[in-house]
Amino acid sequence: MLLLIRAAALSSLIVLAACGADPAPGPVEQIIVREPGAAAAVASAEAPADALLAEGKAAFANCTACHTLEEGAPNGVGPNLFGIVGAGAGEVAGFAYSDALKGSGITWTATELDSFIADPAAKIPGTTMVAGAIADAAKRQAVIAYIDSVTAN
Amino acid sequence: MGKWSRRAFIGAGVTAGGALIVGVAVRQGNPIDELGPLLANGENEQLLNAWVKVDTDNVVTAVIPHVEMGQGVHTALAQMLADEMDADWNKVQILEAPADMQYVSDSIGRDFLFPNLQVPALLEPTVAGGILELAQAMGLQFTGGSYSVRATGQRAMRTAGAAAREMLVAAAASEWQVPESEITAADSMVIHARSGKSEPFAAFARAAAEQSLPAKPKLKSPDNYKIMGQPMARHDIPAKVDGSAIFGIDADVPGMKYAAVKAPPVIGATVESMNASTAKTMPGVLQILNMGDFVAVVADSYWLAQQALNSIDTRYSKTEGDGLDQDAIFARYAAALDEAGEDGGDTQTEAGDAVQSFAEAATKVEAEYTVPFLAHATMEPMNCTAWVRDGKCDVWSGHQAPVNARQAAADAAGLAFEDVTYHNGYLGGGFGRRSDNDAIIMATRIAKATGYPVKMIWSREEDTAQDHYRPSATSRFKGGLDKDGKLVSWDNIHTHLFDPADAPTVPYYNIASHKIRKVDVPMHLRFGPWRSVDHSQHGFFIESFVDEMADAAGKDGYAFRRELLAESPRHLKVLDTAAKMSGWGNALPEKHGRGIAFVPSFGSIVAQVAEVDMSGPKPKVTKVYVAADPGFVVNPDGFTAQMESGIVYGLTAALYGDITLKDGAVQQSNFHDYRMLRIDEMPEVEVALINGDHERLGGGGEPGLPPIAPAVTNAIFAATGKRIRALPIAKHDFA
Repeated sequence: MLLLIRAAALSSLIVLAACGADPAPGPVEQIIVREPGAAAAVASAEAPADALLAEGKAAFANCTACHTLEEGAPNGVGPNLFGIVGAGAGEVAGFAYSDALKGSGITWTATELDSFIADPAAKIPGTTMVAGAIADAAKRQAVIAYIDSVTAN
Repeated sequence: MGKWSRRAFIGAGVTAGGALIVGVAVRQGNPIDELGPLLANGENEQLLNAWVKVDTDNVVTAVIPHVEMGQGVHTALAQMLADEMDADWNKVQILEAPADMQYVSDSIGRDFLFPNLQVPALLEPTVAGGILELAQAMGLQFTGGSYSVRATGQRAMRTAGAAAREMLVAAAASEWQVPESEITAADSMVIHARSGKSEPFAAFARAAAEQSLPAKPKLKSPDNYKIMGQPMARHDIPAKVDGSAIFGIDADVPGMKYAAVKAPPVIGATVESMNASTAKTMPGVLQILNMGDFVAVVADSYWLAQQALNSIDTRYSKTEGDGLDQDAIFARYAAALDEAGEDGGDTQTEAGDAVQSFAEAATKVEAEYTVPFLAHATMEPMNCTAWVRDGKCDVWSGHQAPVNARQAAADAAGLAFEDVTYHNGYLGGGFGRRSDNDAIIMATRIAKATGYPVKMIWSREEDTAQDHYRPSATSRFKGGLDKDGKLVSWDNIHTHLFDPADAPTVPYYNIASHKIRKVDVPMHLRFGPWRSVDHSQHGFFIESFVDEMADAAGKDGYAFRRELLAESPRHLKVLDTAAKMSGWGNALPEKHGRGIAFVPSFGSIVAQVAEVDMSGPKPKVTKVYVAADPGFVVNPDGFTAQMESGIVYGLTAALYGDITLKDGAVQQSNFHDYRMLRIDEMPEVEVALINGDHERLGGGGEPGLPPIAPAVTNAIFAATGKRIRALPIAKHDFA
């Protein structure tokens, strides 16, 4: 019998609530920092580079599933990326690269990295980097700037 | 409910839940016509009835009024429909029903009558069960209670399939001018063997809709099943493997922003003040909201929203829950049980004289058991995306009761049900958690405040601390054996009763005198259904105490239960099967033990034997043997997976699950302090399936869970002599 009452109570939720219910309470306090699409209030004019690096750092969070970035940190599923900008492809010690990447002869300039991250398998067919492609060009630029900045520091 | 006579209720209830949609052809003037635009993809499609659609390319679409949360129900229900329809399984598609009242058709309290329709025979009997099942499973378009296959499948999908088949056959008979009895159907074709004519179902879809509705579609007997009972591959798996499956959290709305939320740690408190001076300056932040009962930050990404939220200093109101610690809760339970004494509390079932028989018993045993609060910890974090604008609202989530969710969003937005469109994705774990509307309401309120679409995602910390928990409970037993070691007296009193009502009862055990009572203890926490609901507690209580009584009688747990089940051959067969599979009675290595537990729940009978290795510092469950009789197994692969996953979920809870309170707030926050079972801890599981009653089916989603905790603790007792009376097992020392 208890079950029955519960079932009835559940269905009455719908029925009773169906008409004239008061809307749930709105905000007690609403701070609107900016509208979507508007420029950030913390203007990037004073430190455009910082904003780019912050964006790159946030975006790099996705990469950390496979890559470390700190100097001397161990390789993960992918190689450690400290100092990768300007380095030759397949040169990080202790990482088992695909033959394709190792033999590519690429030097990782920002431009080369950009096209690789956009679509790794297209750039180097046979690479073991099967995840982590970044379609958004601005995001790629930010990530590369961030990686480079860590080395520079 | 009292005013419904049996006849009147069945008329209305069945009208609401099953028959009227089942087998109702879509035609002018029928309210179900309104469903057409929701389900049809083009003008050439014919909606044959609300649970099945036949396309011009002869694809049969099973419209499933249940959500898919990993339990495989879309496939099992489609099998039931397709088999009765004689559809070609390779051309069966599955569509989850829209969250629509017309579809749900809950006429209890709504004037929604279809005239001149007879009730299919299948729907007439089982009054109590019928009311419950129709109201819960169909009336609310609710997925839970292990109801989908045994209620919707058995009562609706099969009837719909059979009705559709009969109408197609009738249409073909009319066209070909031959008797219906000469026409057969197979693989989505209607066939007239004598004349050599055969046409795809699609050729007669329109004509079939003009046929009179079969009052009592003839259902197949099990020997004619072709698709039911087969391990058909699940329809939802390929998309889940290749990543294309869309879960609630995958909602992608143009212009969408993200919200992170935090509610007061002590449930019931309100936000008194917030200091957002830092959050206002943080990158990506759009809005900071004090909603009274929670704080939200809306930002360009979830991560930025969560970072800003973390910087907000919030003060909360005082509540009754402040100061309440874990020990005090169990002290409250003990006090309530003490106060109830021998006669207090609410009696749930009683037979004979439990007090007298206990007094006269040759051997008396008393024991007290406790179980903790548990969180659901769904793998997909709680989330909801909402967009409220121009008097309309769209909501995206994964919810076990989509119609309820739609209504909750409407209420939160201050709009009518009709002005809300609810989009349900796959559920990344439900377990009962996604039957609550809290996330729906919160997201809708945030979106109403912003005016643009917002995806709200709870952090794991928020999920763990703000769940609707499985209640903790204490249960006390007194049991009496006669001079032959026969269990003759059973007196149980426990705290909390939620659902289902039969969870604390043991009608299958032959005990002359028993009395089962409960006492209520108010708590400030919110409770919700947790996979197998009250059976998750009482399965452990009951089967632990049965084992203690067996030990007191000097019998082994299997032999003792055999005696109690002697008059229930179907139950006995399940118990015997599990014992036999496990090699019960064979010697085990030193410090190894074997435990048995037997829990019928949700219409299915399940026995499990667990083997544990106690030679290490902590228990290692090495093997679990399962025997299950759900009446008839529609998809053996799917049902077996449900038994296995019930063990994963139940063993996680038995070994580790422990939500504790300090000063009114939940102490756990994430998987480091709310442990899940890990892959190296997973026992090998062997499952035997028994088809004991093809007329009355049981559920699959939950019944695999309740026996595992007592099977393991009984095995630990067998190996060590140490009786675990309080879960989780991890808090006991085995050194």
